[in-house]
Amino acid sequence: MRSRNDWVIWAFLAAGLAVTVAFVLVPVGHAIVLSLQQADSFISTPRFVGLANYARVLGEEAFWRAAGNGLIYSGLSIVLQVLLGLGFAMVLNEAFPGQRLVRGLAVLPYLLPTVVVALTFQWMTDGSFGIVTVLLAELGLGPIPWFERPDTAMASVVLASVWLWTPFVTICVLAGLQGIPLSLYEAARVDGAGAFARFWHITLPQLRPVLTVVVLLRAIWMFNKFDIIWLLTKGGPLGATEHLPILAYKRAFSQFDVGGGAAVATLSFLILTALVMLYFRLFPLEEKR
Amino acid sequence: MASITLERVSKRFGNLTVVDAVSLDIADGEFMVLVGPSGCGKSTTLRMIAGLEESSEGSIRIGARDVTKLEPRDRNVAMVFQNYALYPHKSVYENLAFGLRMRKFDKAEVERRVRRAAAMLGIEGLLARKPRQLSGGQMQRVALGRALVREPEAFLLDEPLSNLDARMRVQTREEIAKLHREVGTSMVYVTHDQVEAMTLGDRVCAMRDGRIQQVGPPLALYDRPANRFVAAFIGSPEMNLIETEIAPGPVVRIGGAVLPVPASGFRLPGPGSRITLGIRPEHLAIADAAGPRISGDIAMVERLGDRTLIGLDAAGIGLKALLPRDDALAVGHSIALAPMPGRLHFFDGETGASLAVP
Repeated sequence: MRSRNDWVIWAFLAAGLAVTVAFVLVPVGHAIVLSLQQADSFISTPRFVGLANYARVLGEEAFWRAAGNGLIYSGLSIVLQVLLGLGFAMVLNEAFPGQRLVRGLAVLPYLLPTVVVALTFQWMTDGSFGIVTVLLAELGLGPIPWFERPDTAMASVVLASVWLWTPFVTICVLAGLQGIPLSLYEAARVDGAGAFARFWHITLPQLRPVLTVVVLLRAIWMFNKFDIIWLLTKGGPLGATEHLPILAYKRAFSQFDVGGGAAVATLSFLILTALVMLYFRLFPLEEKR
Repeated sequence: MASITLERVSKRFGNLTVVDAVSLDIADGEFMVLVGPSGCGKSTTLRMIAGLEESSEGSIRIGARDVTKLEPRDRNVAMVFQNYALYPHKSVYENLAFGLRMRKFDKAEVERRVRRAAAMLGIEGLLARKPRQLSGGQMQRVALGRALVREPEAFLLDEPLSNLDARMRVQTREEIAKLHREVGTSMVYVTHDQVEAMTLGDRVCAMRDGRIQQVGPPLALYDRPANRFVAAFIGSPEMNLIETEIAPGPVVRIGGAVLPVPASGFRLPGPGSRITLGIRPEHLAIADAAGPRISGDIAMVERLGDRTLIGLDAAGIGLKALLPRDDALAVGHSIALAPMPGRLHFFDGETGASLAVP
């Protein structure tokens, strides 16, 4: 009985390991190898150049600007998503007529394909016939250069990202809120805590495990997020929304600098790893017993 | 410290009336137990006193203050919850201190009160721990301590022992009684357990379907239950209740036995009227040769140690009797029982109200 169980356990472990090696470790390893080579396309014969690609990339202003843009983009969109998601979840957690319907609607943006959202966003903000532009003009406002100026372009991609992914935070926080025993709030009310004190002393600490995971996931996803920015701005104007994933992509696929692109991707991976480790140090997932 | 007065307090959820015109005076320093089966409205009544539920009608006063419309924090009461409701992320010390900090007590006073409450409850050694590192009994003490530090005008306890195992329950019950003697603050205690009600209460308020059935000292409810419900709810094992009628004499017949009706003490209806006869199991004894006999076969025997509980089938009527230990009693044996004199209860066959003369 016992040996048969052992056999099953090993079989499952081996299957999981094989998949991880084939689809995660090998591609990552391949990318790292590419970053140590020089090649002007994926089919040409690569030449080993050591760390030359890294030295070149790190010496470029474009790399540091992309790294900064990535931090601004992911930082802003995470903060807004978490704050709005927390607020929406607290509203949706209260009983009101039509609560179920509104809860369903609140999730909707998360279910839409990114490409649909990006195209719709562009149509709505189109400079001549977009509905937002027209409505603003009726009110005597605008036109707003959504994607034409560096500062507004960054704000616009952040806005679209927040609209699209805040529901993820809302759902997770709502689930977390529903797990908080009502008697804690009642005890606090009898103890003399007002609405803000109850939020600060009960809701936030009780949501901490959920928020820790949600912020981590959102941080990883937003830092690596490629599609929404590519679809909206392709990194422009003047590189204002170009972050490391877009820089890596452009290097490898538009400028045929495969080694440079791989080096950017690897550096991006290292930066994110460092940030995640720092995060775990600051916010351990499990409180020490 | 203060008295608590409920005046025709009701609570409705839509069409459902959960508490129906409850009026109750709880004296300053009194230990009042609200007891009844689940859904009887006892917890809702307590929560209305706390301010966690708004009353639909009526008024609630604590001392001289009308608190009917006040927020819980402005009522100066403390509450102990069934599941303890300790703040999980705060240490025991912070759990105790929270109510004081919310009321802006200075640091030295918080420290002094927390230490004193911890000493009273024997939890000084636990102050640095988190709730999840505590046993059920310890959590219950912390919950009591959190109420104690506040030095409120009244303590409200909602089934505080029901999550504890049997041994801890008895021990904590004694501690709550001791605590009440020491601090002398009014306590309102909700339970479905009649033993807790009997042992803790200065007075007991028995409730059913949102209405008060009887209020009085525990033994008054035991000796003179106001109706069939209180008669059955208070006392263990449960009182035998037999549907019968008054026969000329006047007598009542049960299981072939003819019991003369006491000449005084009851206001009984005329012959032919339906009544409910009540006899507590502990008030049945083996019949002697003379006098009335309720004869039948033993259907069940439970040996409790000092006493033996038997179930008797007397011509189709089931009775329970709590007798002195008798190892010879066995299922299938025939036996004759007789009620102890002066221990019969009579209730109206329709309304269930006691027919005893008050």
